[in-house]
Amino acid sequence: MRRLLDRVYWGSGMVAAGFLVAIFLVVLSQVSANLLDFCIRQFTGKSLGLVVPSYAEIAGFFLAAASFFALPYTLRHGAHIRVTLVLMRLPRKAQTFLAVAACFGAACVSAFFSWYCWELVMESHEFGDLSSGLVPVPLWIPQLPLAIGSALLAVSLLDSGFRALSCRHDPATKLMIGEG
Amino acid sequence: MDMSLVSGIVLLVFMFLLLGAGVWVALALLGVGLLGMVVFTDSPAGPLMATAVWGSSNLWSLASLPMFIWMGDILFRSRLSDDMFEGLVPWMGRLPGRLLHVNIIGCGIFAAVSGSSAATAATIGKMSIPELKRRGYSERMVLGTLAGSATLGLLIPPSIILIVYGIATDQSIARLFMAGVLPGALLVALFMGYVMIRAKLRPHEIPELTDTFTWTDRWNALKRLGPVICLIAGVIGSIYSGIASPTDAAAVGVFLALCLAKYTGDLNRETFVDGLLSATRTSCMIAFILAGAAFLTMAMGFTGIPSGLATWIGQMDLSPYALLAALTVFFILMGCFLDGISVVVLTTSVIQPMILTAGIDPLWFGIFVVIVVEMAQITPPVGFNLFVIQGLSNRDILHIARAALPFFLLMITAVALITIFPQIVTYLPNNM
Repeated sequence: MRRLLDRVYWGSGMVAAGFLVAIFLVVLSQVSANLLDFCIRQFTGKSLGLVVPSYAEIAGFFLAAASFFALPYTLRHGAHIRVTLVLMRLPRKAQTFLAVAACFGAACVSAFFSWYCWELVMESHEFGDLSSGLVPVPLWIPQLPLAIGSALLAVSLLDSGFRALSCRHDPATKLMIGEG
Repeated sequence: MDMSLVSGIVLLVFMFLLLGAGVWVALALLGVGLLGMVVFTDSPAGPLMATAVWGSSNLWSLASLPMFIWMGDILFRSRLSDDMFEGLVPWMGRLPGRLLHVNIIGCGIFAAVSGSSAATAATIGKMSIPELKRRGYSERMVLGTLAGSATLGLLIPPSIILIVYGIATDQSIARLFMAGVLPGALLVALFMGYVMIRAKLRPHEIPELTDTFTWTDRWNALKRLGPVICLIAGVIGSIYSGIASPTDAAAVGVFLALCLAKYTGDLNRETFVDGLLSATRTSCMIAFILAGAAFLTMAMGFTGIPSGLATWIGQMDLSPYALLAALTVFFILMGCFLDGISVVVLTTSVIQPMILTAGIDPLWFGIFVVIVVEMAQITPPVGFNLFVIQGLSNRDILHIARAALPFFLLMITAVALITIFPQIVTYLPNNM
């Protein structure tokens, strides 16, 4: 179970990294297309109007996917910012209590959010909502990562909560300060 | 006291309870928004939450954020800090204060390729702290100049925090970037001026120059700075000239940074994956905070708290100067406990209507907030530059904060200057 969970967190992080690379490639190909177009125009006086269709919109969708798939992975690395200033000055027991409460409370918020993201996905699917760009993308597809990512975040928060409950070391609740 | 003030105070207390208990900032923002909606309005919280978050997480302009972060992460793992140090030393030896200026100029240059002040402090300090101490510079001045100038990472474009502000307040990121240039230069000038004056007054703090440099040395040194300067010119130049949007320029920046790292032999599988994963985590953290802030802003709008506060402040008939002075104190206090990005997003969800009512230009206010947040980076107990420099120098935070105090005061001067002469901020964006 432990290994399965850790693999899921790690895997979703890798997917997120993949989407970052995808943003990079999409944007870079549009920039190269612009550059090529510019050169052609210099030589022939005619513009081909090379475009990667809907590239801005697609980059946005990839960004949403990258941000949300990375949620559990980022949590496991203790990279989500939190304030530990007060915590550090509390006795050990109070720290554990607050860590457990924070994990379970946050898991509830995250699960609540995920639930309504699923509803949003269902709705977009049902009404056949399309994006407004050159290439109409069914909106439920780019919305799906929000639902999956936040559900995984809820799972990893529960996971950390139970570990904190049994006072085991856990990277997510470790008393450390995130990067600014 | 009207209702909006009471509900505002309730939510503020709840927010600080959550944050103090160590709840992750993004989730705390979502939680407070949720409470506000459920308790003070009849609107359906869940569906609005999903829509607000979706709407704020797939923005094209936000895509520049992971790209700029990634670019900084690639360069951080390259030999750049050696090159910066070696390249700057021959140029700075003659100025009063000598190599202390390496810290300032080095941070200024690195700030132009990185949007984070922690990364700036780490990259420049890695080389300059041991080297300058070895040459006998006073440790206090070495740490102070580094802590102070590293905050330039937030102001000199590309700046992560200006992207966050631009997204949260619906301002053009390209214009914000331009607005940051002159205030950044102003800060560099203030810092350098201070170091020179201090060096004249206390010459014993600055060791004699041991090596002499010829003009040949200087031109050779310039070659080591060349690649970085080309990178800056390419990325920032294309934004300023309007050829590329910030996101396009950021992707090109990543490409150039990869080429640069390849050229200097610092790019291998390990550093590539390392940099990419670090960028994934940092950008996820920031995007999630922005998503939480988007929902909080929407929830606040439904509760009517910000507009209520704006009217309330409006009725007090404060002059804009008094309002700004009060806000400065408030931000510095908040910055003592929160990181810069959280301060900015909290600000925008509650204070934005107040600013507009008071007739303050939101573009100018963005730069103002960033400089104040910069000051918070070097104030204890929570100041990220202090943490980074603590890690590099093994001195405790209070010691570093004392060393940085003069630079804190210089930043207050800068805030006063841009308040009296707002053209420092608005000139470039209005004339390009």
